[in-house]
Amino acid sequence: MPAERRHVACAIREVPPGERRIVEIEGRSIGVFNVDGRFYALHNGCPHKGGPLCEGRVGGTTLTTRDRAFPYGREGQVVRCAWHGWEFDITTGRALADSAVRARTYPVAVEDGQIVLLL
Amino acid sequence: MIDCDVHNTWRSADVLLRYLPPAFREYLERGELPGGRGSFPHAHRPWLHPEDFFRVDATPPSGAPAGSDHAFMAAQLLDRYAIDVAILTGEEAIEVSTLANPHYAQALARAYNDWLVDEWLPRDSRLRGSLVVAPQDPHGAAEEIRRHGGHPGVVQVLVSTGAQRPYGDPFYDPIWDACVEVGLPLAAHLGGQGGVNANPTGCGPPTFFWETHALLCETGMGHVASTIAQGVFERWPAARFVLIECGIAWLPAILWRLDEDYRALRKETPWLTRLPSEYARDHIRLTTQPIERPRNPQALWMALDDIGAREMLMFASDYPHWDFDEPRIVRPPAEWREAVMDGNARTLYRLGAREEMTARAG
Repeated sequence: MPAERRHVACAIREVPPGERRIVEIEGRSIGVFNVDGRFYALHNGCPHKGGPLCEGRVGGTTLTTRDRAFPYGREGQVVRCAWHGWEFDITTGRALADSAVRARTYPVAVEDGQIVLLL
Repeated sequence: MIDCDVHNTWRSADVLLRYLPPAFREYLERGELPGGRGSFPHAHRPWLHPEDFFRVDATPPSGAPAGSDHAFMAAQLLDRYAIDVAILTGEEAIEVSTLANPHYAQALARAYNDWLVDEWLPRDSRLRGSLVVAPQDPHGAAEEIRRHGGHPGVVQVLVSTGAQRPYGDPFYDPIWDACVEVGLPLAAHLGGQGGVNANPTGCGPPTFFWETHALLCETGMGHVASTIAQGVFERWPAARFVLIECGIAWLPAILWRLDEDYRALRKETPWLTRLPSEYARDHIRLTTQPIERPRNPQALWMALDDIGAREMLMFASDYPHWDFDEPRIVRPPAEWREAVMDGNARTLYRLGAREEMTARAG
């Protein structure tokens, strides 16, 4: 397997908390997200039907409950694919409705004000 | 072999008179009846079978209605096909769901259940009964389930597929509560397609009888979607739901679709923790009749295998109706055969293993 290479995605200041930026690295489209000051990178192709996952709405969602109720939370941690709305946890890449489905994630490092991805 | 849909009936609905409380006995004795004296009060579906509803050869020599003569039924069905247990589902009783007056409807259901317990279950150790309730009166239904649910010959609670709202609706919570309390599955049998109930299709009423009959899958789909989406199987992990006479080929299609749409809009139903198809496999059972017959018989079983339906299917003949399935036309893959024709129903209805039953009978 070829060794992972380091790629500068963008400057930290280009992705403020709650925002996301789509970058292009070696022909791959990748979403870089800032969730409460921590950075995450997801492949911008939905495992469902290949839609632009990282270009969808970012927000919270209803939390699992035993009642007929709608507790809301995970604000800023959930991205919904722009095409079909599947929800993914930005911090893990897992689909909320089916843990067997995962969006590809990339390790992120912060160096000298830059967001660096390993891929 | 277990036959999960056998229709028992009466010579005249007057057999119910002695089981009705005085207030409602008058209704049956003196009140208006849709079919004249001796007929059962219900709103008939507006699609009338142009050749009558029964196998012509199922009429007993006495000329009594098909399904009303136990000895004839035993010879024509139970003995002939070596059926170990037949689950009785009544004939018109589930049509109480079509009546506007829920009190009268429940009284009729109670009377049917008493008659079933008195007149049918003691006749033959192979018979088991379904407790009919009027679902438009969920609290009354729950009372009836608790009253008779402990009878050893009663194996499920029965309603019609035709309904005013699908069976996952919280309106029916008292029924699910009671079913789980007494340890019985809730079963919905094709019917109740008239009166106060919704039409069997979402685009308005069909025209012809066969056209409507072919759409029997549609209400089945509605109830599957509703019970899963509303979280019936999270709220009552012991709940089991049986669909009788809705066919089976549509099951993979609706489960594929439910899984897909749930994954997109999980947020609407945060009480679910699993995929819809997973709830279905553990909690929903379908009887096989009227079985679909693709040109390539394997096409049916391949699709069912894809969603893991082996444990979900239970053989039913629907004797003595016009769309009867003889056991030999139901041909699951060899490794499914025992489960579909026998084992799944034994497990669901707690009938015991075949050897135990033989020992008990001896």
